[in-house]
Amino acid sequence: MSDEVINERIGKDYKAGFVTEVDSETLPPGLNEDVVRAISAKKGEPEWMLEWRLKAFEAWKTMEEPDWAHVNFPKVDYQEISYFSSPKSMEDKPKSLDEVDPQLLETYEKLGIPLHEQEILAGVAVDAVFDSVSVATTFREKLEEAGVIFCPISEAVHKHPELVKKYLGTVVPVRDNFFAALNCAVFSDGSFVYIPKGVRCPMELSTYFRINEAKTGQFERTLIVAEEGSHVSYLEGCTAPMRDENQLHAAVVELVALDNAEIKYSTVQNWYPGDENGKGGIYNFVTKRGVCHNNAKISWTQVETGSAVTWKYPSCILKGDNSIGEFYSVALTNNMQQADTGTKMIHLGKNTKSTIIAKGISAGKSQSSYRGLVRMSPMAEGARNFTQCDSLLIGDKCGAHTFPYIESKNPSAVIEHEATTSKVSDDQMFLCQQRGIDPEKAVSMIVNGFCKEVFKELPMEFAVEAGKLLEVSLEGSVG
Amino acid sequence: MLSINNLVAEVEGKTILKGLNLEVKPGEVHAIMGPNGAGKSTLGNVLAGRENYEKTDGTVTLDGKDIFELEPEERAAEGMFLAFQYPVEIPGVSNLEFLKASIDAISKYRGVEAPDSVSFMKKAREACKAVNLDQNFLKRGVNEGFSGGEKKRNEIMQMMLLEPKLCILDETDSGLDIDALQVVAKGVNELRSPDRAFVVVTHYQRLLDYIVPDYVHVLADGKIVKSGGKELALELEKKGYSWLEQEVA
Amino acid sequence: MSQAVDYIRESSELAQTLEAKTKTDWLADFRKQRLNAFAHSSFPTRKTEHFKYNNLSALTRQSFARLAEADSGDIKLPELAEQLDADRLVLVNGEYDSSLSKLEEQAITFYRDANADQKDFILEQLNKKNDKKNIFSLLNDSLTQDGILIEFNQAQTKPLHIIYVATESAQQKTTFANCLIRVAANCQATVVEHFATNKDATDNSLFNQSTQCVLNDNAHLNHYRLHLEEEHTIHFGELDFWLDAHSQLNSFHVGLGSQIKRLDINVYHQASGSHADLNGVYLSNAQQQIDYHTNVEHRVPHCTTQEIFRGIVGGSSKAVFNGRIHILQDAQKTLAELSNKNLLLSNKAEINTKPELEIYADDVQCAHGATVAKMDETSLFYLQSRGIPKSQAELMLSFGFINELIDGLKHQAVGDYLRPILANLFEQAA
Repeated sequence: MSDEVINERIGKDYKAGFVTEVDSETLPPGLNEDVVRAISAKKGEPEWMLEWRLKAFEAWKTMEEPDWAHVNFPKVDYQEISYFSSPKSMEDKPKSLDEVDPQLLETYEKLGIPLHEQEILAGVAVDAVFDSVSVATTFREKLEEAGVIFCPISEAVHKHPELVKKYLGTVVPVRDNFFAALNCAVFSDGSFVYIPKGVRCPMELSTYFRINEAKTGQFERTLIVAEEGSHVSYLEGCTAPMRDENQLHAAVVELVALDNAEIKYSTVQNWYPGDENGKGGIYNFVTKRGVCHNNAKISWTQVETGSAVTWKYPSCILKGDNSIGEFYSVALTNNMQQADTGTKMIHLGKNTKSTIIAKGISAGKSQSSYRGLVRMSPMAEGARNFTQCDSLLIGDKCGAHTFPYIESKNPSAVIEHEATTSKVSDDQMFLCQQRGIDPEKAVSMIVNGFCKEVFKELPMEFAVEAGKLLEVSLEGSVG
Repeated sequence: MLSINNLVAEVEGKTILKGLNLEVKPGEVHAIMGPNGAGKSTLGNVLAGRENYEKTDGTVTLDGKDIFELEPEERAAEGMFLAFQYPVEIPGVSNLEFLKASIDAISKYRGVEAPDSVSFMKKAREACKAVNLDQNFLKRGVNEGFSGGEKKRNEIMQMMLLEPKLCILDETDSGLDIDALQVVAKGVNELRSPDRAFVVVTHYQRLLDYIVPDYVHVLADGKIVKSGGKELALELEKKGYSWLEQEVA
Repeated sequence: MSQAVDYIRESSELAQTLEAKTKTDWLADFRKQRLNAFAHSSFPTRKTEHFKYNNLSALTRQSFARLAEADSGDIKLPELAEQLDADRLVLVNGEYDSSLSKLEEQAITFYRDANADQKDFILEQLNKKNDKKNIFSLLNDSLTQDGILIEFNQAQTKPLHIIYVATESAQQKTTFANCLIRVAANCQATVVEHFATNKDATDNSLFNQSTQCVLNDNAHLNHYRLHLEEEHTIHFGELDFWLDAHSQLNSFHVGLGSQIKRLDINVYHQASGSHADLNGVYLSNAQQQIDYHTNVEHRVPHCTTQEIFRGIVGGSSKAVFNGRIHILQDAQKTLAELSNKNLLLSNKAEINTKPELEIYADDVQCAHGATVAKMDETSLFYLQSRGIPKSQAELMLSFGFINELIDGLKHQAVGDYLRPILANLFEQAA
């Protein structure tokens, strides 16, 4: 991909001359202290929030972009990106589905997405008063009744400053890594969830329901706090490909599970992967991490099929005794996609347990890597980890790699790691064909079977869609 | 129904079938016997369209259609069923899922309505019962962790469900004990009908005690060197294959 | 605090000084090129992926910028020298010792005496190794003033026992050695590389050693590398195996921890049909470090690799195992398996293992497994219930854990020699 293409994609709204005008809709490209101040001012943030952002920005300036991942892409020019763009006005959006890329619509069709949802996903200017708003409202009422807070994080900064102050940046510190620091400085918006003590959240929380107010842009920030003994299941993303103008995504997700709490976080990531020649596509550089206190549990489940480049390691810090971390992942790459993804399980407390099941599928000319860290600290008496990572190759032009780091400083901890690599065998294909199943369907069945252990961790309807999604993503991968 | 004319085929550049002729009519059961390396398994695989099994000369038609014009899945939809010598494991894909996909695809090809889930399940359970497979096998991965006998019975179970018109059994008896052999034979016999034909490829006469053939052919060095009735099988059992090879030479 | 030593600069200067006295001018260009790369390298830190877990501070605390020299003092060879019916090549502080060596069947050639063909071969082979990530390998190249070429040209010969001895006079000095082994087509050879120290006082001697083994078509090599030096030694070793068509390598490693011990083992499958068995055990105790980095590269189709390493880590020691299997795009039909199991015996000990797979071909079967665990409690209990005291049961189980591999050795004499040494080690640790 040429630099021009990237610049074209990310620098669309370039306006000549740099003026830090607080009321303009889109900031000109570039990043400096004024831009950070402008973003904060636009959101009317309190002073402490601005201070926090500025501190992050100072840190970011001293940091270097990580280069250890097994991915290759042209360098991003951070001064060419515009760091704030408020939602497009109705006039700029496609007026109806007729104006939307027919290929995108075809995909929606295959996934069986209802028409009005198609409109939202494709960014069609729809009247604000439509079904899902009232749906969202009823949801809100029900949540409020239970005492659950579920709102944009920008709203939480104003309405619940004590909670935000107490937890923001405690799991992913400002200086954690290059992309996280950048996110801290310029994050646009995202979700805030607070589950009070002992409450079992009455429904699955999903960004999907917030889609009309989503437009959170490229630097999304999510903070979920589960008080003692509470329980929440959170779904991020949706299974249909999202139309998106942003090239670079650098999100941060922080989870706090206090004593005896449980957080289940499921993601289906299907950003635009670029075309078969690797042109276009999203760079998805995400920092996701959760901390578990005593007896708490955090479970990450992800199905990653989108983005041109993925750099993502949802992790658990098992701080409290008897806490549990889980990571279930399917990462599918096709065409020219590259994914470097995995997890970190940091065992600090006694009798902590972690399970990692990672399934990588590579097709086309893509490269898929699992990168994981399991660390047993000297205090992690009786801790236990089991890791299984399997790779499946489809075609002889792709690559599948495994880079597990295993570090133990405690003799009573037990770590088991297994990895295998295989391909969709000719025998399996022939058996399916002999039973009348065409090759594409056969591959998707075999791949679905390969991913079963992970899909069963997804909420029901998500799992069905995830299966379909794999099918769509694999199209054209069998010659 | 199946008409094989002067079939020459090679595997990875090596010619295995060297001008094979065979005519199978509806309702008939043909047994193909022969020594190791005669090309018995190659025949089944060439007919079903396995990759690397290349026809280099001759014709094969199934009800008048040139099968080499068809993809393997199209041949299956036309009614050809190959019971594999070594049934393949597909981890994570349940038998049920697999069979449903198969029936749906074949129904679609034929332009008929696929059975709904309820009647499909009913048939699947019956088929399991018929071959003495526990119904739990339907939920397990295709052949995953099955014993040798279970795998072979699973092949017959699939055959019952798909109701093909031409069934090719590739050494289905190899590695089976007598009990399993009887179950397999019973399944096959139940499927015998005036409009369905069988090609039973085997190394041992034993299977033919249970599946009684109309014709027996001896395949040696890529050709059918002798044909006869079921008594030929007994003769082979007694004398072995060497006398035939000498005769041909 | 005293000033830190600039290891790169001092070593570069040492290499330059030696250049004036060289006996192998024909290697000068090679040395120059590698020295250039070495001098421009930076000293590894914790952020250098290749040395992530190594603590190299011993190299910057004091200078090693002098070369160790031959020592003809009273040298006691390890017992294996008596037990093994083999030819013997002894190097004392890196220098060939003719009185201690016993070469009846096998000839050796010093690089300085190489004929034209041998020179070509040596140069070709040295140029093939080009590990830019490893500064110690670059330094070894920069200092290749001489070396030993061993060619196995007969169908079968006695094993060759190569003993590297370090003596007191190697203290705070650097020893270099470079060895090139070639097993000709259809020949079979056994080589035991044995590293030992003469006395316990060999404080802080630094050994930088490189062995290259070339297995021509259908050649068989049984290779042992025994690192049984005293615990204050520092060792950087590089081993490369180049496998031609249908050659068979069986390489076995034993490593006891020391101040720093780092081995980089590379296996290159460069023609179809080759097979490699790469096995080893490492044991560290006290404040020792031991680090095995193995890298198996499948460059062509139809090759196989079986790799098993086991480690026992006690005291306040640190062990590192990094096992990489790299399958290039052309290497279809590869079978490769790696297993790494570790026993961690103490609260202060540390194990870092990283089994890596990097795969660019689809029709391959690869798997790796790694475990870190304490002793199996059921087994322990079983032994105790039969009246064996816990401490002894632990010894038995630890020893059993590695003895599985020792029992599988092709040369019983090597196993018989190793067993009491290792058993004794466990008793001391207990």
